[in-house]
Amino acid sequence: MAEVLQLLISGVAQGMIYALIAFGYNMTFSTSKTINFSLGNLLMTGGVVGLLVYMNTKTGEPNGNSFFVALVAVVIVCSVLGALVYKVAVEPSVKRGSDFAWVLATLAFGIIVKNAVEQLWSTDDFRFSSPLGSEPLRIAGAGIFPQEILIIIVSILIVTAVELFRRKSILGKAIQAVSEDKMTAGLMGINQNFVILFSFMLSTAIAGVAGVLIAPLTFVSATMGTVLGVKAYGAAIIGGLESGFGMLAGGLLLGLSESLTARYISTGYKDTPGFVILILIILFKPSGLFGKKAIKKV
Amino acid sequence: MNRKKIIYALLLLLPMLLPLFVDNQYYVHGILCRILIYSILVASLDLVVGYLGDISIGHAGLFAIGAYSVAILTANPKMNMEATMTFMPQIPFLAALAIGVLLAALTGFVLGFPSLRSSGPYLAVTTIACGMIIFTFISEQELLTNGTKGINLSVVTLLGVQLGGNKLVWLVYPPLLAVMWIMRNIGRSYWGRAFEAIKYSPIAAEACGIWRTYFKISAFVISAAIAGLAGGLFAQLDQYIAASTFNLDFSILALIALIFGGLRSTLGNVIGMSLVVLLPDWFTWFKDFRLLVFGILLLLTLFFLPQGVVGLLKSVWQKLGFHKHDHVDIQERTLNLEKLSEKDSSVLFAANTKVQKLDALELDLVRMQFGGLVAVNNLSLKIKSGMIMGLMGPNGSGKSTTVNIITGLYPQTSGSVRVFGQEMNALKPFERARLGVARTFQNLQLFHDMTVLDNVMVGLHMSFKANLVEVMLGLPAVWHEEHEMQVKAYRLLKFVGLEKSAFEKAKNLAYGQARRLEIARALALNPSFLLLDEPAAGLTSGEIEEFNHMIRKVKQQGISVLLIEHHMDMLMEVSEEITVLDFGKKISEGTPDQVQNDPKVISAYLGTSDVAVKPSGSGGVLA
Repeated sequence: MAEVLQLLISGVAQGMIYALIAFGYNMTFSTSKTINFSLGNLLMTGGVVGLLVYMNTKTGEPNGNSFFVALVAVVIVCSVLGALVYKVAVEPSVKRGSDFAWVLATLAFGIIVKNAVEQLWSTDDFRFSSPLGSEPLRIAGAGIFPQEILIIIVSILIVTAVELFRRKSILGKAIQAVSEDKMTAGLMGINQNFVILFSFMLSTAIAGVAGVLIAPLTFVSATMGTVLGVKAYGAAIIGGLESGFGMLAGGLLLGLSESLTARYISTGYKDTPGFVILILIILFKPSGLFGKKAIKKV
Repeated sequence: MNRKKIIYALLLLLPMLLPLFVDNQYYVHGILCRILIYSILVASLDLVVGYLGDISIGHAGLFAIGAYSVAILTANPKMNMEATMTFMPQIPFLAALAIGVLLAALTGFVLGFPSLRSSGPYLAVTTIACGMIIFTFISEQELLTNGTKGINLSVVTLLGVQLGGNKLVWLVYPPLLAVMWIMRNIGRSYWGRAFEAIKYSPIAAEACGIWRTYFKISAFVISAAIAGLAGGLFAQLDQYIAASTFNLDFSILALIALIFGGLRSTLGNVIGMSLVVLLPDWFTWFKDFRLLVFGILLLLTLFFLPQGVVGLLKSVWQKLGFHKHDHVDIQERTLNLEKLSEKDSSVLFAANTKVQKLDALELDLVRMQFGGLVAVNNLSLKIKSGMIMGLMGPNGSGKSTTVNIITGLYPQTSGSVRVFGQEMNALKPFERARLGVARTFQNLQLFHDMTVLDNVMVGLHMSFKANLVEVMLGLPAVWHEEHEMQVKAYRLLKFVGLEKSAFEKAKNLAYGQARRLEIARALALNPSFLLLDEPAAGLTSGEIEEFNHMIRKVKQQGISVLLIEHHMDMLMEVSEEITVLDFGKKISEGTPDQVQNDPKVISAYLGTSDVAVKPSGSGGVLA
């Protein structure tokens, strides 16, 4: 029983990370019908920036800066990168009217970021200590890392804040309007370009925070983001790219399937059930669990 | 001309001589053979990405299947003493290669199905997932694949020759040539056009009688088989393979090479991969930065060289005068087609010369519900053979929905559709097209990046008789048929008055021309029943005049027409009978005169009013 609880919590924590990244995919997709495939590598940048600000990489101990400062630095760096990926990769692709050039362009951006970090910084793995310590808490006999609790709480806060922002604030409503109907939103005086740019910056900032959150559970390295990004994209498709709630559901499904498979089947195969679910979803419900099916008008 | 071809052929065979004259293994074995093998992989990727327009980031997985099939089936236990793998049947290399190709093709078959349900970024992630599943499998199944430790192989001996060192060229170059030949033939045939048609508009492709499922799955199977072949040969490159080679980055690298070189060009495939292999070798300083450099190059290629390096080379070649300029080439080809079309006196619309006794269309209580909305409400309708029937009604009255039901895009909720007496209910759009139901689209559905002539050639899809094997081998009969169809397509363009733009891209046509091209493409199906969905929308009055003329010409060919229009005067002028819909219900039918004086029609268009409606006389309110 204690073991199941432990698996559930770590699965949920992992799932929330996927959900945060998936949320980023959802955000840019809703405003611009494009997806930023470099998001995984921008998450890695978040982890690296967090590490450089918060940790002493020589001793492997915190260097005295507050965790909050690290978070602020991550948000700033990652939103700048988000603006950059939009300006360098997405906008030129869309302007040239090519259908899927942005897929390759954002992939290329991700490759550039990853290789740059590897070469300019390091190819090693670095330990990132949790601001809450690494001593597991004993809850009902289960050992649970405080970082896992932190991930779950912070993720829920971010998701709620973003949803509130989308529904209540004027900029949030502009985002909604652009995602519903670009043309009409433009006619109402909404600056679509700014809205789209903002959605990219917000999504990369959230991904960066996710990178800092996951860092204490894994290691920080140039390669930490690639697979996370791919899997989170899988989660987004499973949940239904158009649905905010779908992102949470997809992320949790993937996170839980991983932690349960790793324990009860084999660590090597922990990703496989998630991928199989993904393929099944594409086959039988391509719009995802919570996505709406659109009728194509001809 | 033939002499030129022979010279090209001899030049192509030159690399086969390398092993005889060059001893340096670094460049021939290490670099050239790697390029040759990887180029086969890029060619396989081109079929899916370039022709079908589906991005695959999982081809490394298919490559791995080929490589591991060969490695496991041919491995010598003595060379793998400490291996955990137990199954080493040591079968001959070629048999193992064939099995690898088959297994990869089978995986491609499975991978093809998601591509029917999704495309673009959705499908991309499926291919990633597929690649990762394969990667996990080969890394974890130590009993079968020796896991991360890899498998050692001995050098292959074929016909008594040991194909090690530089002689590997003899093993890997002929397959590359074969694959290039096959890809070139497919690309220039109706198969290649069908792939591209599906890419630009799956709906219009089906309306041209293309069985989308069959073509997409076939493309994935062929592509996977070629990727498997590349993998099987790769196993011999270092006589050692390990799981880590076949990761996500490798798939991306192949994709990068494809974009560098240029899509849908066999030469481009080889050039792209050569750059990817050679650049880090020439400029050793960026070996560690190579992914960064490739990423930047990829961005630059995407934005500044949409045709890749091959496109750049072609334009340089043209500037230097080694290659005919496009406009000269087009002039010559148009002139040639003009001559041939004048000589050709065969019948353009063959099946329609005989008078049909059956009704062209019979709708019986057709109903279409979208959730709670009833778009078409128990509509019954008959069109006599050879007649032009007009269908009108205010916006949202269910006109286009009716067309979509007749052509099979929407499955009706109830009721039945018969065309020339044949029940259509269970038939897919492409099957209906094959039975002679052709249509145009309210929102233009042209294959915008293909030429005007090629758009019509897609319409002629069903007229092609050559099978896939003949197409792949590029038999003379295939090219003969291709030329015949070009002439036919050109004649159809003349029929609608577009012959001067035959080699223009469809996207460059003016609006009225695009409308006419849609009709030419529909007529290419040799239809007995043609549905025109608002063909005059957005046309000027002069163009409408020409249009009326054209529709009458179509009728003269014995083709029955259902014409949906907003232009009242046009509808009144050309249709023999008119049916009026409002809120999905038929509110009136009869001759144009009867309909335009029907009070129900007037109230549907102008709202109920107290305006006195004259009971008779021409020139009613709507005229």
